[in-house]
Amino acid sequence: MNAQYALLAPEITLAVVGLVIFSVGLLIPKGSRQGMVPLTVLGILVTMAVAGAQFFSNVNGSFLDGMYLADNYASFFKLLFLAAALLVVLSSTEYVQKLPAHRGEFYGLILFAALGMMVMAGSGDLITLYVGLELMTISFYVLVAYLSEDGKSGEAGLKYLILGAVSSAVLLYGVSFLYGLTGSTVITEIAAKLGSGMSPATILALLLVLAGFSFKISLIPFHMWAPDIYEGAPVPITAYLAVASKAAGFAALVRVMLVGLKAQALDGNVAVALAVLIGLTMIAGNLMAIPQKNFKRMMAYSSISQAGYIAVGLLAGTPDGVKGVLFYSMIYVFANMGAFTVATVVSTAQGSDEIKDFAGLARRSPLAAVVMTVSLLSMAGIPPLAGFVGKFYLFKALLDQGWVPLVFIAFVMSMVSVYYYLLVTRTMYMEEGADLPKIGVSGATKFTLLVTMLVTLFLGIYPSPLAKMATIAAASLFR
Amino acid sequence: MLNNFGAIGILLIFAIALPVILVTVPKLLAPRKYSKEKGTVYECGMETRGETWVQFKTNYFLYALVFVAFDVETVFLYPWAVQFRKLGTFAFIEMFIFIAILLVGFWYAWKEGALEWK
Amino acid sequence: MIRMEASFQWAWLIPALPLLSFLIIGFITKKWPKLSSTISIAAILTSFVLAVWVDFGVFASGVGAELVEKPYQHVVNWLTFSGVPWGLSAAPLNIEFGTLIDPLSAMMLFVVTLVASLVQIYSVGYMHGDKGYSRYFAYQSLFAMSMLGLVLSTNLLQLFIFWELVGLCSYLLIGFWFFKPSAREAAKKAFMTTRVGDFGLLLGILFLLNKFGTLNFVQLFHMMTPEVKAMVAVGGVSYLTLTAFLVFIGPIGKSGQFPLHVWLPDAMEGPTPVSALIHAATMVVAGVYLIARIYFLFQGASPAALEFVASLGGFTAIFAASIAIAQNDIKRILAYSTLSQLGYMVMALGVGSLTAGMFHLMTHAFFKALMFLGAGSVIHALHEKQDIWEMGGLWKKMRITGTTFAIGVLAIAGVPPLAGFFSKDEILSAALHNGHPVLFGIGLFTAMLTAFYMTRLFVIAFMGPEKAENHPHESPWVMTLPLVILAFFSIVGGWAGIPEHGFAYFVRPWGSEFEPEAMNWLVAGPSIIVGLAGIILSYIVYYGKASDPVEAAFPRVYKVLKNKYYVDEFYLWIIKHIVDGIGKVLYWFDIYIVDGIVDGLAWIARSLGSLFRRAQTGQLQVYAIIFFVALIVLFLAVTYGEGQLHALNPLALGGGK
Repeated sequence: MNAQYALLAPEITLAVVGLVIFSVGLLIPKGSRQGMVPLTVLGILVTMAVAGAQFFSNVNGSFLDGMYLADNYASFFKLLFLAAALLVVLSSTEYVQKLPAHRGEFYGLILFAALGMMVMAGSGDLITLYVGLELMTISFYVLVAYLSEDGKSGEAGLKYLILGAVSSAVLLYGVSFLYGLTGSTVITEIAAKLGSGMSPATILALLLVLAGFSFKISLIPFHMWAPDIYEGAPVPITAYLAVASKAAGFAALVRVMLVGLKAQALDGNVAVALAVLIGLTMIAGNLMAIPQKNFKRMMAYSSISQAGYIAVGLLAGTPDGVKGVLFYSMIYVFANMGAFTVATVVSTAQGSDEIKDFAGLARRSPLAAVVMTVSLLSMAGIPPLAGFVGKFYLFKALLDQGWVPLVFIAFVMSMVSVYYYLLVTRTMYMEEGADLPKIGVSGATKFTLLVTMLVTLFLGIYPSPLAKMATIAAASLFR
Repeated sequence: MLNNFGAIGILLIFAIALPVILVTVPKLLAPRKYSKEKGTVYECGMETRGETWVQFKTNYFLYALVFVAFDVETVFLYPWAVQFRKLGTFAFIEMFIFIAILLVGFWYAWKEGALEWK
Repeated sequence: MIRMEASFQWAWLIPALPLLSFLIIGFITKKWPKLSSTISIAAILTSFVLAVWVDFGVFASGVGAELVEKPYQHVVNWLTFSGVPWGLSAAPLNIEFGTLIDPLSAMMLFVVTLVASLVQIYSVGYMHGDKGYSRYFAYQSLFAMSMLGLVLSTNLLQLFIFWELVGLCSYLLIGFWFFKPSAREAAKKAFMTTRVGDFGLLLGILFLLNKFGTLNFVQLFHMMTPEVKAMVAVGGVSYLTLTAFLVFIGPIGKSGQFPLHVWLPDAMEGPTPVSALIHAATMVVAGVYLIARIYFLFQGASPAALEFVASLGGFTAIFAASIAIAQNDIKRILAYSTLSQLGYMVMALGVGSLTAGMFHLMTHAFFKALMFLGAGSVIHALHEKQDIWEMGGLWKKMRITGTTFAIGVLAIAGVPPLAGFFSKDEILSAALHNGHPVLFGIGLFTAMLTAFYMTRLFVIAFMGPEKAENHPHESPWVMTLPLVILAFFSIVGGWAGIPEHGFAYFVRPWGSEFEPEAMNWLVAGPSIIVGLAGIILSYIVYYGKASDPVEAAFPRVYKVLKNKYYVDEFYLWIIKHIVDGIGKVLYWFDIYIVDGIVDGLAWIARSLGSLFRRAQTGQLQVYAIIFFVALIVLFLAVTYGEGQLHALNPLALGGGK
């Protein structure tokens, strides 16, 4: 029994680091508390090393009769969450210095959110999954409302709290149905008990679970919260919410749907319903992004549409599709973090995040402008950037399953997205912005910018290493 | 096909109609006599004073939350205490880790002033 | 053979060197303009030498014919899709990067490196003192890299990547003077318009991938069996035909065929050498090159596909040529001329002659680059004046520019023995022989129009009355030397087609038999006559005039031509009223209809609720309501779809049946 605890090594490490950061924060007098960046970064790196070691030594084990799993699939997502957390921490060093209060806890909460996500990715049981989900979400409630003097932030926090509770309730309702139908909350057992049967109750359970997760990954029409909350939250948290929280939602959703409810989830009509949701998400998400004036709000709609692309892999339901989900989620972390880091920089310097604030950024901060361009174009799926390869994997997987019209929509909408991404680029490169300040980037922020850009470029040109990792991870899900 | 929706439709109509009927019928039938007593918020008990929209201290919530956390802790401690001998040393250490985590939380709450009523 | 492969192995250096130069300029020498231009020119010249070495291996030694049957490929694996094998191929999908050498790509290598080298040398003079001097050469290097990579691509995905890269370079260079609003608009227009074409190309690529499981040109070529040709996609249209149509959309955008031609004239906002290199000699012919590369696909498709290609090419040729007559901006005249000539090339491919199309591509690259650079020299001398009516009398002041420009005009007009005569003749005779008399007629008429508007340009700008306010002077030698070299190639370039084992022997579709064809004077005769007629007519009409006599004679026709048949206005109208509208409508839809329905529901609930108490309202509730309504709708829809709604009846009827 004791040996099994080794499987939990990444989670335990991160929990300890989180607690230590909270404790250290208490030992320092209140006035002089800082972000504790070095400690946080070190903690994340150590956890990454542990999770990486598990991934590369092919640890595939389960804990407490399958209630908790440590497989390559989970390890891949753990690496993803940690990478996202690391980039958020590094990109927000200067931003945190401007926070009105509670600077010490900022990073601790980010770590606990990451811990919650890791539990979500690893849980083989719906209750454990829910605990992870709540740990993540509650951390986010606090983080979203962090700017206590900014009304928007507080409003966003409250909205997220209430709507998050609603979605959790719906999810739990679905879980309770599943428990009622099968007498188990362990995902594999649910699959075994349900077989291929399909009754109104199963459909209801499935859709409730789907809706609960769709809220987290912001599939239309469960997306209503996203624009308001993205706009109100502190910029680094918006980024974290957009990439990591969404990826965690996908991690859990894919496992529940493709392992627990495989026979039901991809059955004709449910699949069609899912396809409609995805199509709607891609179309409306992209089109509504076009008229946005606020960068964060635009990125909210953009991230909604990106969720549509990723969900394509779920709909495919094959190892190739899951591979696409994994690959795209990972590169999306870097692309989105690149864009949001630039937004953080601009927001820290100018105190606002309207798109027009980016005017002349190419002159005021060339590096930031280049990183923004690369990130946005990657999200638009323009070769030779990573986003192109990712979309290629996803759409190919879907095409294999014969969903030609949906692939067509995905393509057209990718083209449409180029339009609003280029609007930002145009503002940065072609508009004067003469009265706006020069922005210098340095230290950790510069590092983050360079890393995100280089990874996006590298994976676009040579995607094999990550693609291989994603393939292995996807295979472990279907074992 | 239509039959299927027919049932749902009947349900919908009925579900909407019922509350409407329940509200309108008394309105039409019941005699309306207003008196001062009826107009008050409570028909019995204490007279209310001042605004209903009063603000009260958020400390109350902090207190309540901390209380709930440590109250629920006992739920875990109790079965452990009963089966303590059977579970062995490992469970002993585990429970200490659990308590340690809670203590960090308690420490945090204390230090941040959650327990002070200002 | 082995000795030759030595040069082929190093072909990857041809695009790699400009890339290196781009990186060096971009990261290191940006602050030292002279050094940057030196590095860039050194890199492209080395590439040129390498290209000549490769060409020597292909053409001079007789390997060329073997290469038509068996192209040389040098590849490295780039990424592999494991898992299920795709389409007809049994192996998992491999995407590779590499170099493919056959006479077609070898010819392109020569043309691209030659023109790029000359343009870069020319730019030293033209861009002298510009603030973005280093940036300009960095872009030039990047473009050279992309274009050469495109030419050497072994598979469609690699080609597509470089295809997008040249598009990006074009965008960057059109918008090079980004402080000019018109340049920014033109850059955006070019990018967006060509993206429309790229979309079709990408779809075509996916269609190919889906069916064949490979994108490698050689492998695809070998899969063109009769069974594959007979595969039907939808409604009796064969799969190959559909794919060919989709792929062809790419060239329509890139090579400025009607109706996606609108970006090219606007692209003239970039520096003139850029127009010469990218928008006349190289990038815009990428589409033509692509069709030639996958010519087997068009041959395998139903004849309608090639018919369509030919007709569109012919239409573009005459359409653009007619517009060119009424333009006054020297660069715009040349731009419409380019469009027209591109149409010519596409028509050549469409009527079934790959050889003629590629031959015209080569000669056109020489004389069109020559004329653009000549125009640049004129503009430079007149301090950015581009209206030909404001020029005049340049012949006496700018002897070298004038002479070389005249050679260009004669070459494009098809006067023997200059280059244009041979390639144009080849196209016309191919059209006639392969049974397209109408296209032959269009080609002949376009040839006359071409001679007419080119002579018009020359007569007005160089031989018109001198203007007192102009003080033109000949350009420095760095600018005139490329003109002289290009003039040389504009004269002799066509002679490659004369010997029996000449151009046609090497550049022909894979796996086709070589059929020598003698000069057909029945075609050549009329072609010469219409060319000369155009020149003479134009001379008579325009010589010594200070304003356009055609405008006075046919004001209405002239106005339509001058406004380019109002195509731009039409597109603008569509974009303004329809595309923009859809976005607005959907936003409106979200705000008013979606929210409206929900608000309506909320209103119903509130109206009912107000009987009991004052209802609270706010966005939050709305969100939650949408959440639940969506859930219920979803549930009912799926249950209905599953045919299990009846199972809900007992539920609805309170347990009763």
